[in-house]
Amino acid sequence: MRLRVSGEHTGNEYDLHSVVVGVTDDSSLPQGDLMNAFAEGVCNRNPTQTEAARKGIVATLGEAAMVDAAAVIAAFNAYPRAADATGIPIEEFKLEPTADLREELALDALPSRH
Amino acid sequence: MANLFAVAPATIRPPLLSALETAWSQLAEPGAWLTGAERTAVVAEVRHAWNCGLCNERKKALSPYTVAGEHEHLGALPSDWVDVIHRVATDSGRLTQSWLHEVLDAGVAEDEFIEIIGVAILAITIDAFADGIGVEHAALSTPQPGTPPRERLESSTPGPGWVSTTAPENAGPELKEHYLNGRGQFNIVRSLTLVPPAATQLFGLLDCLYMPNPSIRELEGIDRSISRAQMEFLAARSSLLFGCFY
Repeated sequence: MRLRVSGEHTGNEYDLHSVVVGVTDDSSLPQGDLMNAFAEGVCNRNPTQTEAARKGIVATLGEAAMVDAAAVIAAFNAYPRAADATGIPIEEFKLEPTADLREELALDALPSRH
Repeated sequence: MANLFAVAPATIRPPLLSALETAWSQLAEPGAWLTGAERTAVVAEVRHAWNCGLCNERKKALSPYTVAGEHEHLGALPSDWVDVIHRVATDSGRLTQSWLHEVLDAGVAEDEFIEIIGVAILAITIDAFADGIGVEHAALSTPQPGTPPRERLESSTPGPGWVSTTAPENAGPELKEHYLNGRGQFNIVRSLTLVPPAATQLFGLLDCLYMPNPSIRELEGIDRSISRAQMEFLAARSSLLFGCFY
């Protein structure tokens, strides 16, 4: 998971459970609550939640940040669908380095684990 | 060129805006296997899928494969295409290889399948961006005339997933740029390469929405207004919301 890699590069420690459960209080990710609400709003097609999060991000980080956040969420409306519709497996070279993380976050239990 | 997001309430960086407009235009053009009219009909159908009663019932079920019925559809496409479009849109995390085999056994060519999902995913992606920044979805484009060549790519081989792909070492000039910088090591980059235009059109947009090479440290040379950690949180959280392991 590249969030962990980013933390290793910058010296920050992120609570990766926040990715699974959507709670960001203790994750130390700046504006994590807003980012989570924005991702949930767009991916769950909830316009009320999306609008509130959008306004929050614009107010705290600015308009350009909101656009870049929307862009990443849009991109990750695509990658998962492309992977899961074609049965793309995780790369061999990722299996061992991610084993502990996958177990800790119970990611291997996902139906899309091929 | 489409004039997408002309009234957007936020400034969109020019390369991204250009990529969005290019992708939207490509959706109405003839593809490698589908006509412009068919591709436009896929876009319309994928938007229709969100309000499909069968899809909503399946989404709530423990297994979507235990709920039978007929999709609520626009009537422009074969039923097997409609099932592909609706399932990819509404419940992609629970697609199975046996389901795909049923689709192919019903007569959908593997190449057609790749182009159908490529168009559907591209449309979903552009609409999701519109939802994010708070603008209306773009109006459907007028289908462009032309006959798709419908020629199987001889360099394709089975795998690494359920469908055939073109490995980087077998790729011709049509995929040269797609596989630049060694990113063919990532299986997702190979996913749609059975139909090269489907792969290059989708990733041409994704490279601007996210980044061309996620292997870089932090955001070296990438101009973004959020941190790499924030980007990766959004990426991982969105993937989890769709139940995606990859």
